[in-house]
Amino acid sequence: MFHAKIINLKKEKIEFKKAEDFIASSKFGASLIFTGTVREINENKKVTGITYDSHDQMVIKSFKEIYNEIKEKLKLESKAVFIEHVKGYVGLGEIGIIIAVACPHKTEAYIISRYIIEEIKKRSPIWKKEHYENEESEWLKGNSIKIKNENY
Amino acid sequence: MKIKLELYGASREFSKKDYLEFNLKKKSSIKDLRNEVITFINENFKGNDNFKKLVKSSTFCSEENKIISDDFKITKDQIIGIIPPIGGG
Repeated sequence: MFHAKIINLKKEKIEFKKAEDFIASSKFGASLIFTGTVREINENKKVTGITYDSHDQMVIKSFKEIYNEIKEKLKLESKAVFIEHVKGYVGLGEIGIIIAVACPHKTEAYIISRYIIEEIKKRSPIWKKEHYENEESEWLKGNSIKIKNENY
Repeated sequence: MKIKLELYGASREFSKKDYLEFNLKKKSSIKDLRNEVITFINENFKGNDNFKKLVKSSTFCSEENKIISDDFKITKDQIIGIIPPIGGG
């Protein structure tokens, strides 16, 4: 089972319950739901919110590749994976990403969840513009995407 | 060739629109497009160093959503995306 979506906040909300329902329907014994939220302090600046931008098609493509690698690289076949990432403005404490994983055992659930978030940060074309209490907003510095091969 | 360059992330600061348009010679490459964007920065943002660094550290993607290298030959009018360094999640 696999679900991946960009949530355009101008049109809809990101909902934790959707991840819970997805996991519950999978019938596996171990599950984890990771949420990334806007933190108050970043590099000594008081953050009020983040505007997320994304190249939607490439992000979904990268999510599918990461999901496929769980089987190909990690050799973990039995799993259910739910990934939603927002696009648009989110305020302090609000959710930017939900990764929900279910599988037969706890160790695999932790491995898969960690693998997904680390790979998203390396290769999914998503950008953050941070907004501050008393300073000008700024796009956060990131990592250049590496050209892997013709099929990326 | 007419190239519509879609802007993402920090490159959105280059224009109030979501894209820039360039006219490139036939058989141009992504490297040529990158140089055109830098020329645009020189002409419109007084050579803003941060913007130029951003262009130099960006990759580009094709209409088929593939990351394309500087050697990639552009053979027709098309939409290309500029992909600045990423940091989401």
